[in-house]
Amino acid sequence: MSKTDRSDRKTAAFGDSSSVRSLPFWSVLSAVVLILTWWGLTTAWGFPDEFRDQFQAAALADGDDPNLSDREFFQQCQRDAVCDPDTSYTQFVSPLIFPSIGDTWSAAGELVTEGYRNTALRTHTWASLWRVMRGLFWGSLIGIPVGLAMGLSSRARGFFDTIVEAFRPIPPLALLPLFTLSFGLGEKSAVPLLVFASIWIMIIAARSGIRNAQLSKVRAAYSLGASKRQLLTKVLIPNALPEIFTGLRVALGVSWGTLVAAELSGVQEGLGAMISIAKNFSRLDVIVVGIVIIALLGVLMDVLLRFLEAVLIPWRGKG
Amino acid sequence: MESLSVQNVDMVYNLPKGGSVHALSDVSFDLEAGRLLTLLGPSGCGKTTLLNIIAGFLAPTAGQVLLGGVPVTGPSRDRGMVFQQGALFEWQSVAKNISFGPRMSGKKHKDVLPEVESLLDVVGLQGFGDKQVYELSGGMQQRVALARCLANDPQMMLMDEPLGALDALTREKMQSLILSLWAETGKSVVLVTHSVEEALILGDVVFVMAPRPGRIEKVYELPFAKRALTEDPRTLKAGDDFQEVKEEILSFIWEMEEEIMGTEAGQ
Repeated sequence: MSKTDRSDRKTAAFGDSSSVRSLPFWSVLSAVVLILTWWGLTTAWGFPDEFRDQFQAAALADGDDPNLSDREFFQQCQRDAVCDPDTSYTQFVSPLIFPSIGDTWSAAGELVTEGYRNTALRTHTWASLWRVMRGLFWGSLIGIPVGLAMGLSSRARGFFDTIVEAFRPIPPLALLPLFTLSFGLGEKSAVPLLVFASIWIMIIAARSGIRNAQLSKVRAAYSLGASKRQLLTKVLIPNALPEIFTGLRVALGVSWGTLVAAELSGVQEGLGAMISIAKNFSRLDVIVVGIVIIALLGVLMDVLLRFLEAVLIPWRGKG
Repeated sequence: MESLSVQNVDMVYNLPKGGSVHALSDVSFDLEAGRLLTLLGPSGCGKTTLLNIIAGFLAPTAGQVLLGGVPVTGPSRDRGMVFQQGALFEWQSVAKNISFGPRMSGKKHKDVLPEVESLLDVVGLQGFGDKQVYELSGGMQQRVALARCLANDPQMMLMDEPLGALDALTREKMQSLILSLWAETGKSVVLVTHSVEEALILGDVVFVMAPRPGRIEKVYELPFAKRALTEDPRTLKAGDDFQEVKEEILSFIWEMEEEIMGTEAGQ
């Protein structure tokens, strides 16, 4: 928003998209509403506490620890067939459906200090991060040259068009069973799956980066004496960088989206693996912590890429 | 400096849906070194096609173009181009844009810096070398494009509506700049424009072209370009002799347009 903007003086602002912007107050409000709703539904509101007291007493009578978390209490309660899951719990949303803020927070603390199932949270996080970066690296290393070739040569365009159009629509998760059988369990298929997720995006980004080069720029370079090789390295590739960077950001998002699927391949370390193991033990709090970390990492890396973009490609959108 | 010879150039475009367009029909002319030729005409008369053939971007269906007796077979550093929109490389500074040509032939940027500085001076952009091209206005970007073209010391400068995207005031200033560059360097210039006034004030030689098939219909040799070097161009443009030629060409182009409209309505 520039200082000379006249939005506040516009009389016909409704429907004028240039006068619509994201008001920070409302963004903060939405975050507050989300957290309050979570807190309200899983912690604050529900049936009177007597219900819980009643069942806690029953648990005590049964010889169980009364200082259990809601979830643990409820699991024991169920196991001992004392509680009826439909009526007994005091909150609107039972911890079997979604963990409370308190439980999630303590699970996060527990994960940070003790890790999950003998593996530090750091190790899980780093394993995932490393996997995503490797997938993106190989996806770019193969995808960008293929995309460049498709933008430069009719033969390459014809040849790779079939492959790209045939494989691009396949959801990576659908390929996981095939990959685990063909490449082997664990890392051997997790990384190829991430490469598969990003490669088509990088091909298309590089291809359109070349295709969108202004004809006048290409002709100017030739008239200035550039050879084909010089045209490629001094004009076409720098000119395509903004689109390749956009491709990287999209591919990064998709890679994080595919991560959990890729880690179903039987790897032991990684946030996705942690989530799927936690699922087997009904640790909803651990699952939610994993999801939050993945979301934060995704946002963080996108911010990092945007920063890099501003430093490396300051001309973006100004051509 | 070498003279340009266009010999029996014919250009037929095949349309993707069948049929063809006769963009140029048997165009021939000779242009001595150091002349400023402006190509003028209604849209579709083939003026840009002709410029692209001279530049070597298009091969004519028949005929040939010779520069200094040597046939033109492709783009080359002896025919510099200036486009309507700068076509500058926005990932490089102004100075590096200007040194692009010399760098393509293996020179180092820092070795040609003195030339770059003096070219910046010539086009009126002293001290702008370290700026990024996207920080400049449209008129300044065209100044960079002119300097970049001159850095290669070409035989000819080819300009495709170089001032078409500028506002009227900037345009007048740039017309004076093009004239002084032409006079100082002694290079041949071929300039395409759709503005009659611009063609007349810049054109040492003016070709008025006509469409279907594209051809040179009228040739004017005019004194205004040379006079504008010493006289005030605006007084010149207001003069009776200038206005007379302008009216003649305008009514000629009007007639052509009417004719085209007529044939199109009849089809």
